[in-house]
Amino acid sequence: MDTQTAGANTAPKNQEVLLRMEGINKSFPGVKALDNVSLTVKAGTVHALMGENGAGKSTLMKCLFGVYNRDSGSVYLEGREVNFKTSKEALENGVAMVHQELNQALKRNVMDNMWLGRFPKIAKWCPLTSEKKMYDATKKVFEELDIQVDPKRIMSTMPVSQRQMVEIAKAVSFQSKVIVFDEPTSSLTEEEVEHLFKIINMLRDRGCGIIYISHKMEEILRISDEVTIMRDGQWIATRPAKELTMNEIIRLMVGRELTNRYPEKDNVVGQPKLEVKGLTAMYSKLNDVSFVAKEGEVLGVAGLDGSGRTELLENIFGIATRKSGEIYIDGKRVLNRNAKESVVNKFAMLTEERRATGIFAIRDIQANTTISSLKRYKKGPLLSDKKMREATDWGIKSMRTKTPSQRTQIRSLSGGNQQKVILARWLLTEPEVLLLDEPTRGIDVGAKYEIYQLILNLAKEGKTVIMVSSEMPELLGVCDRILVMSGGKLAGEVDARNTTQEEIMTLAAKYA
Amino acid sequence: MSEKNTASAAGALSTKDKMRKVGDLLLNNAMYIIIVLAIIYISIVRPSFLGLSSIVNVISLTAAKLPIALGIGGCIVLTGTDISAGRVVGLTACISASLLTTVFKVFPNMTEALPLPVVLLLVMAVGAAVGFVNGFSVAKFKLHPFIVTLSTQLIVYGIILMYLMSGTNNGQTLSGLAGSYRSFVTGTLFSIGGVAVPRYVLYAIILTAIMWIIWNKTTFGKNMFAVGSNEEAANVSGVNVSRTIIMVFMLAGIMYAITGFLEGARIASANANTGLNYESDAIAACVIGGVSFVGGIGRISGIVVGVLLLQIIFTGLNFLSVDANMLYIIKGLIILIACAIDMRKYLVRK
Amino acid sequence: MEERKDNEPQLRGLYRHVRISVRTLNIIILVLSALLVVCIVIGISRGGYQITFDTLGGTVVESQKHMYGELVEEPNPPTREGYVFDGWYRDEALTYPWNIGEDVVTESMTLYAGWKEK
Repeated sequence: MDTQTAGANTAPKNQEVLLRMEGINKSFPGVKALDNVSLTVKAGTVHALMGENGAGKSTLMKCLFGVYNRDSGSVYLEGREVNFKTSKEALENGVAMVHQELNQALKRNVMDNMWLGRFPKIAKWCPLTSEKKMYDATKKVFEELDIQVDPKRIMSTMPVSQRQMVEIAKAVSFQSKVIVFDEPTSSLTEEEVEHLFKIINMLRDRGCGIIYISHKMEEILRISDEVTIMRDGQWIATRPAKELTMNEIIRLMVGRELTNRYPEKDNVVGQPKLEVKGLTAMYSKLNDVSFVAKEGEVLGVAGLDGSGRTELLENIFGIATRKSGEIYIDGKRVLNRNAKESVVNKFAMLTEERRATGIFAIRDIQANTTISSLKRYKKGPLLSDKKMREATDWGIKSMRTKTPSQRTQIRSLSGGNQQKVILARWLLTEPEVLLLDEPTRGIDVGAKYEIYQLILNLAKEGKTVIMVSSEMPELLGVCDRILVMSGGKLAGEVDARNTTQEEIMTLAAKYA
Repeated sequence: MSEKNTASAAGALSTKDKMRKVGDLLLNNAMYIIIVLAIIYISIVRPSFLGLSSIVNVISLTAAKLPIALGIGGCIVLTGTDISAGRVVGLTACISASLLTTVFKVFPNMTEALPLPVVLLLVMAVGAAVGFVNGFSVAKFKLHPFIVTLSTQLIVYGIILMYLMSGTNNGQTLSGLAGSYRSFVTGTLFSIGGVAVPRYVLYAIILTAIMWIIWNKTTFGKNMFAVGSNEEAANVSGVNVSRTIIMVFMLAGIMYAITGFLEGARIASANANTGLNYESDAIAACVIGGVSFVGGIGRISGIVVGVLLLQIIFTGLNFLSVDANMLYIIKGLIILIACAIDMRKYLVRK
Repeated sequence: MEERKDNEPQLRGLYRHVRISVRTLNIIILVLSALLVVCIVIGISRGGYQITFDTLGGTVVESQKHMYGELVEEPNPPTREGYVFDGWYRDEALTYPWNIGEDVVTESMTLYAGWKEK
């Protein structure tokens, strides 16, 4: 592979290596999350880490901070081998992380958060904490970084950007040498981003090594010195940012062989089935979305993280509160005020977070399969074991789920097989509209193909499938049409057969 | 040479693995081991412990405590608990004893005891009402069951005290129960070897069967386990989560009420202390019987075994004349150990 | 969100915030079990039920200690000015009499003296 040598050759010799991760492997049941990944961060550089969702960026960072135990591989900090057990230990050794979601004590003030867990004492022998020392130290760090925040302000009264600054200041106050930024700009305004970049540049000039995780390519090209790209848990390339273009990055991020990754599309699109008019969410970012989905159609929904893809499905299914908007099935209005009503109206929804909102981990396959369609198995007032067993058998057979028996706990299955069980659960409710949110997330490539096949089979049976995905090739390979969401609004609609990833990307950035 | 080394290394590993497996087994069953050892010791020191009358005694006491445990079991399956149980038992026992009596102190105007079914239905309604308050607060306000039931427990206690002060009773113990009430509950079901088995054993068996059907054969039961194991997923799957939670607590309340009804006649009196701490026995029995605080796990058979084991050990300690004060400490420790073992079984290993 | 999603323990319930190592838990279980055994042993060795006598205004009667299943020893009958002693009762309301020759001890208890006016 040509990319392999590129990274090594262009490494500037004068910069010392701060952090080196070598041959990191990590497996979860059924999924190889990291496959021999290496990462080298030099002092005084910003190193961008890129990849699609599920490429393994977060997992890699978690292995660094000891949130996960890596299966094999080693980490060197300034040439010394380290193995952090907790993120606190990492912090004490000069490796800090500024999280995407800030974990802060919101009801406390700024200095409390800065010095949490290591409050300065009045004196060595005195267990009382010194407010004054805390205040002065905080002030000093803030001045260094040009942060205009009162150390005594309560966190919850501050905007996200300022809270993020506090998090950065905290990392600096630990004398951190390596600072990881995980999607730091996702909730910042343009001005705030400028300030953040100023601080990052300042840190770089001091000789820190910065790991910068982001999806936004303009940012990456602007701020970073080197870029490492990951895909499917594998290291793909490490190159100087100067040599990269946006298209090149996209190619490296998604550039897998497209042949035979998707089953043949032979579904026939029929009459309009579902019509959504002016859907607007009460508490989340979803504004005036209207579209029509047809019988036997696979309708894709693309967009960046936080563009309102998931919210769209949640609002249709009634598990999020709607502000306005109407839903019609076959021209008849349905309300879908909660999940139960939606099930009655022949909707089904596969949620994005399978573990959190999909499976009943400790219950067996039968319980997981039958929970949404219990009414069907009634014999008098009681449930019939035989009927449930038969339904579960049907589910296992038609989905080709690999499981030792119906009585196996679902948590012992692989991600793909868990997903099949949940699909079977929904098919038993005989739905006409299926809402699938990231149906192939966390699933091995082989199992993905089977899920695609199942989705297309459903469309062939005349069902309407709406599928959200952050993997664009997947949408292009499986869907008939693709809606592109951006900033909570519908940015456009494209025909999957004659569009390109670039077109979708452009649309996705429309209101972002 | 190197082959031999690797072979011995593998051998060492497997013995180490074996050791760990044995250790796991011992620790996960530590509670049972202690109880069995204690039973063996007691039956050696006091052979009469294994006598017929002692066994019937254990079975009767198990039957008396079973309904309350069956009720609490459902709350634990929902990852909650219910510490108002004992007080509800007390309240319903007092109501039963005040209405099915020969000396009407609480209701001086009454002259004749009400029919048994009326009183039974009445106390069940009272239990269900308390359960509804518990369930509603847990389901709708998302309060932790500990806090909710802690407050209802206090409220119910206050009601008991006021109830006992009403009429001409003046807070006294209610006794002098109607003969029909006593014989309905404690009358002889059948006798073996001259030892009478009371009727409430039969009632406990019937209740156990009903609860088994509810847990395993109804939509409500399946929904209960689903909500217990993953509330979010249950909601998405179209389960009415709030209604399920409320119904579980109401069902539990009904079970406490039945316990109270039986308990009044069994002890032949009822006062403000009736039912005190019953919930701790019931929770301990459930956890020992494998109803886990991780939620969504538990079986009726497990609860029966749990209640039985606890009853055996406490009857045994009674045979050895262990002081009641020490029994409290022992009970507390048993609950702690049972929870620690339960946690160990389901701990996520990184 | 990302953090929690991936790290979400598959089992939640009351233990969802528990961050304890199996090793520590083993030690806790062992220590508690040892404590339980010690308590049982102490309980057994100090076994015996205290029987106290409340004479309700009569002369004082010494309390006794008995094991499970033993009979209470007949104490010297208490005396009270203007009354005649009428036997021992299980409850203060004097409704359940205690038959000293037959009833056996099963728990710690107080016996109350019954009196008849002379």
